[in-house]
Amino acid sequence: MTNGAEADTKRGLFEDWTDETWAVLVIRLWLATRAIVTGLQKFWGVDEGGQPAFGLKYYKAIPDALKAKFAAEPMFPAALSGPFYAIFGYALILSGLMTLLGLGTRISLVIQGILYVALTFGLILIKMDAGVAWLGTHIVLVALALAWAKHNRLVISRSW
Amino acid sequence: MTHERDRANGRGRAVGGRLNRRGFLRRSTVGAGLMMLATRARAQEAAPAPATAPAVPKGTESPIRVGLVGCGAQGRVLLEACMPIPGIKFIAVCDIWPYNLRYAANYLTKFNHQPSSHEDFEEFLSAGKDKGMEAVIVATPDIWHSPYTVQALKAGFHVYCEKMMSNTVDGARAMVRAMKETGRLLQIGHQRRSNPRYLHALEKIMRGNMIGRVVNAGGQWNRSIRGSVDLTWPERYALPQATLEKYGYKNMREFRNWRWFRTYSGGPISDLGAHQIDIFGWFLGARPRSVMASGGSDYFKDREWYDNVMTIFEYELPGGDVTRVAYQVLTTTSAGGGYYETFMGVDGTLKVSENEAITRVYKEAHADWTEWIEKRVIRPIERPDTIPVSLSQVSLLDVRATADLDAFELPVEMAKKPHQPHLENFFDAIRGRAKLNCPADEAFESEAAVFKVNPAVEARKQLTFEPADFEV
Repeated sequence: MTNGAEADTKRGLFEDWTDETWAVLVIRLWLATRAIVTGLQKFWGVDEGGQPAFGLKYYKAIPDALKAKFAAEPMFPAALSGPFYAIFGYALILSGLMTLLGLGTRISLVIQGILYVALTFGLILIKMDAGVAWLGTHIVLVALALAWAKHNRLVISRSW
Repeated sequence: MTHERDRANGRGRAVGGRLNRRGFLRRSTVGAGLMMLATRARAQEAAPAPATAPAVPKGTESPIRVGLVGCGAQGRVLLEACMPIPGIKFIAVCDIWPYNLRYAANYLTKFNHQPSSHEDFEEFLSAGKDKGMEAVIVATPDIWHSPYTVQALKAGFHVYCEKMMSNTVDGARAMVRAMKETGRLLQIGHQRRSNPRYLHALEKIMRGNMIGRVVNAGGQWNRSIRGSVDLTWPERYALPQATLEKYGYKNMREFRNWRWFRTYSGGPISDLGAHQIDIFGWFLGARPRSVMASGGSDYFKDREWYDNVMTIFEYELPGGDVTRVAYQVLTTTSAGGGYYETFMGVDGTLKVSENEAITRVYKEAHADWTEWIEKRVIRPIERPDTIPVSLSQVSLLDVRATADLDAFELPVEMAKKPHQPHLENFFDAIRGRAKLNCPADEAFESEAAVFKVNPAVEARKQLTFEPADFEV
């Protein structure tokens, strides 16, 4: 049993829950769902028979059309794009699971914040303002979750 | 379930079918199509075919229980088109390939249907019977259309079968005979016959004589090689050779790409062309009297059927006039604007397609269509896709040329998937609320024209149609 869970047991599960506790829980659930489902979607493709199929071989970080638009932008850092595409889906799933389970919640939120900022950078370059605004809402939620992290409950690990 | 409905209404199906057919003929035998339809009526009175089931009183309806055999690409298209239709319930699905079967069952489960899954067709029919199944949708490769349809009709089910009716003309004839013998409904999947845009064009423009005498007609289905490449399959889901042979397939490639092989299909001219050649006979109210054709395996060298076919039909109209129809199916190019049919009258041209964006009516300069616009048969295009050349500029052109024609669109919008109205018509006919828009006997007349194209290619000469070609 970890220190966070022990603390919850000692105080009673809902004993010291504040409005901020509920708020951070809801935001955690939303951000975790967003990250995990988006990450999993990147492993879905179409198999040789034309039906949807799931697997590592179907992994695609972003659609080819979007990749092509990014590549055409002179300010897009070519050297970083390969590693980013390689880890993007995995990072979303991992950080989403961490957020969901409360395992290093702050770290997982920061990871998601960095991923969304990176995506925002690309969308700014190709002038997809609606996408930038949409990602902005994600950043606001990440920031709120971090701001209320001290109220976080139902966690495996309270530190980090 | 169907039998219960028949008994509840106290009427024999054949009698109900004949009465409705006569009613339809009475309404339809007007204008230019009078002679043709009257001839058909006489033929059908001799051997009545059911076009609707006896009416079911409103408020006493239970969902129509449906089964699907053939869960591949076309089966999925039909499933998707069925989902928005109220009052139907899929209770069984059948396919020899578990890969497709599982997909269809999962898909239906998401829409709160709980179908049982079957590889064997007889087992499927038997399970369907136990669960009160009334209708079977057949979307298998063409080679199985006739055997499965005949078997389902004889087992007492109504059938919606995809076109072509069969890969052989005898197979198609057997379907019509089974329909007449059993008194069950058999709708063939020429879905344009239920498309409100096509119905509007037929009733208002063709039968309304808006474009004048139609001297020529034409059509095309031009599809790029990307739409014609070989279909593949996940190796781990390949069917055992014994299963393939049991169902008449030589190997997995032919099973997946049956449309290109002579054992199973008539090739692109029947696969794609059948839809459009059906429109020519339907809109002209006539049968073809001859066909000449040219075709070849021009690009896909490892396939048996022609990848490109060009045809010229002569349709003999009820009054004795002839309309020449040039039709082509090309599977190596998408040039030329996709797929459509055109009817070129002396006063204007109707260009009709399942694609609303390219459906147009073009007016010859001398014609006055004020009346048709006021009657909302056509609608001026707010942003014309052609810029008419003013009369003053015509003099700059070659003296034999004429200006671009004014373009109009049809005031008919269809927000449904293309097959949905045709399936709705089928289910409405089962409920006794509608007449089938494409019963098998009418579809056979249309497909008889298609069956003659490949022989014309091989003969390298004009072939004539005999009355026997259209008889069952």
